[in-house]
Amino acid sequence: MKRVVLVDDHDLFRAGVRSELGAAVEIVGEAASVADAVPLIRELDPDVVLLDVHLPDGGGQAVIAQVALERPGVRFLALSVSDAAEDVIGVIRAGARGYVTKSISGAELVDAVQRTADGDAVFSPRLAGFVLDAFRSGEAAVDPELDTLTTREREVLQLIARGYRYKEIAARLHLSVKTVETHVSAVLRKLQLSSRHELTRWAAERRLI
Amino acid sequence: MSTSPYRLPLALPRIARVERGSALAGVCAGIGKALGVDPTLVRLTFALLTLAGGAGIAAYGGAWLALPVEGEPDPSRRRRLLGLVVVALAGAFAIRGLGLADSIVWPAALCGVGLLLVRRGTASTTLGLLLVGLGVVAFVDQNAGGDASALLEPSAVAIMLVLVLGPWAWRLAAERDAERTARIRSEERSEMAARVHDSVLQTLALVQREAGDPKRVAALARRQERELRSWLYPDPHTTGDGLAAAIDGAAAAVEELHGVPVELVRTGDAPLDDRVEALVLAAREAMANAARHSGADEVSAFVDAGDDEIAIFVRDRGRGFDPAAVPPGAHGIAESIRSRMARAGGSATLTSSGEGTEVELRLPRPS
Repeated sequence: MKRVVLVDDHDLFRAGVRSELGAAVEIVGEAASVADAVPLIRELDPDVVLLDVHLPDGGGQAVIAQVALERPGVRFLALSVSDAAEDVIGVIRAGARGYVTKSISGAELVDAVQRTADGDAVFSPRLAGFVLDAFRSGEAAVDPELDTLTTREREVLQLIARGYRYKEIAARLHLSVKTVETHVSAVLRKLQLSSRHELTRWAAERRLI
Repeated sequence: MSTSPYRLPLALPRIARVERGSALAGVCAGIGKALGVDPTLVRLTFALLTLAGGAGIAAYGGAWLALPVEGEPDPSRRRRLLGLVVVALAGAFAIRGLGLADSIVWPAALCGVGLLLVRRGTASTTLGLLLVGLGVVAFVDQNAGGDASALLEPSAVAIMLVLVLGPWAWRLAAERDAERTARIRSEERSEMAARVHDSVLQTLALVQREAGDPKRVAALARRQERELRSWLYPDPHTTGDGLAAAIDGAAAAVEELHGVPVELVRTGDAPLDDRVEALVLAAREAMANAARHSGADEVSAFVDAGDDEIAIFVRDRGRGFDPAAVPPGAHGIAESIRSRMARAGGSATLTSSGEGTEVELRLPRPS
């Protein structure tokens, strides 16, 4: 069973997630602030940290920044009510493996946690939309490998944005699910490392770089 | 506030030595951080000062003595005092290096140390004021020469007054600023309260009254969420008059009318003309159909405004239907979607199975 730490400053929300994840994962710890979360994650070394983007003392990015280097095995899945592009992009660039909104259903959340624990990327339709926007052509790429999406990656993202699940995408594009996952992970990597103008601007506004 | 000991209200930010990103002992990095300037600039200044008889090195040493390390308690009084004196001496040397006469530099240095002492609080205030006085007297004495004793008194008094009263005037101004900030903050707060009252509290009251009807409650929550979100995270597209704003409005209307949430994802935007308006209306019809007939508890819509064409996908995970079996009289798909798209020069494709339905609308953009 996957060991999960839950970081969110709303007690009610944590209680809700706890009951929804229920038997599917083991929730080993909870924290309501950056200051509490950092030592807790260091100590518990969980598989997955469900991380609220907005925390009173610094936000989810601060947690990732302080933990990621020491505990490379811990994977972060960001969870938020905020759909502002810079929040989404910001937390991904800080190192989260994916981003889901808090309106996600219990079953989908369990699936997303599992996927995160397996090292896959978790893209919600909205995140896919933001990425397509950020990588829209028209601007010269500095590093073509990192700054542009391949046709295949674009197709996969468009289908995610349309509400398709990985399995359906695989069937539609005549690929294996594994290949779809590989494409999504490649996009995540580009998202984290690319110096593309839009991404840099978002990150700079949030003082990430 | 009036009971606090007399301190110079110089709006100096707290300077501390920084260990991260430091080149030597973190003095320059710390000053740069406190003043909000590039540490390289501070380092350059110290380096330049070094040319003035080594003043830069002495000043650095003094600052190292006087400044606390970030996150640690202040160094001892004695150490701070020594550091400040060294900095003041170094400053005096540097100013001399610029060619100013001794008669200005040394009194200024005395005044500087005195003022810094006054700033530190009660115990050293007397000593500080004494030093300031000494500095002023020395200044007047040196510059007026021995023969102009008539000049001595008034100018010495005037300078003393400026040095001692100036800070008070400064503090008054600072207090007034603080009051203004507080007033602005409280105005913002009451605006926020009004907003929350008009929307969130009203919705919560409604939710409590209609708690027995989950669908209605969900719709209320959804509408409130959308409203709050557009206020908190204003999207420049949404307030514009292009495709993005129009499709947002259409999705909101469908949610409202049919009580089914529409997950809308958009990329890009396009100006609104007759053809694009037709596209929006067709998309709205597709979303409404999905909300009304599919039985799904959510509709996904993806709007992709590219350079060559605008594509809109409306998808549900409902029960699906056989398009061939729809009676010819049913207006929705045939007229509102297909014909409308054809007239606008676009196309509509519909796929449906037991796993749901997807309507694909495409409209080429004139180049």
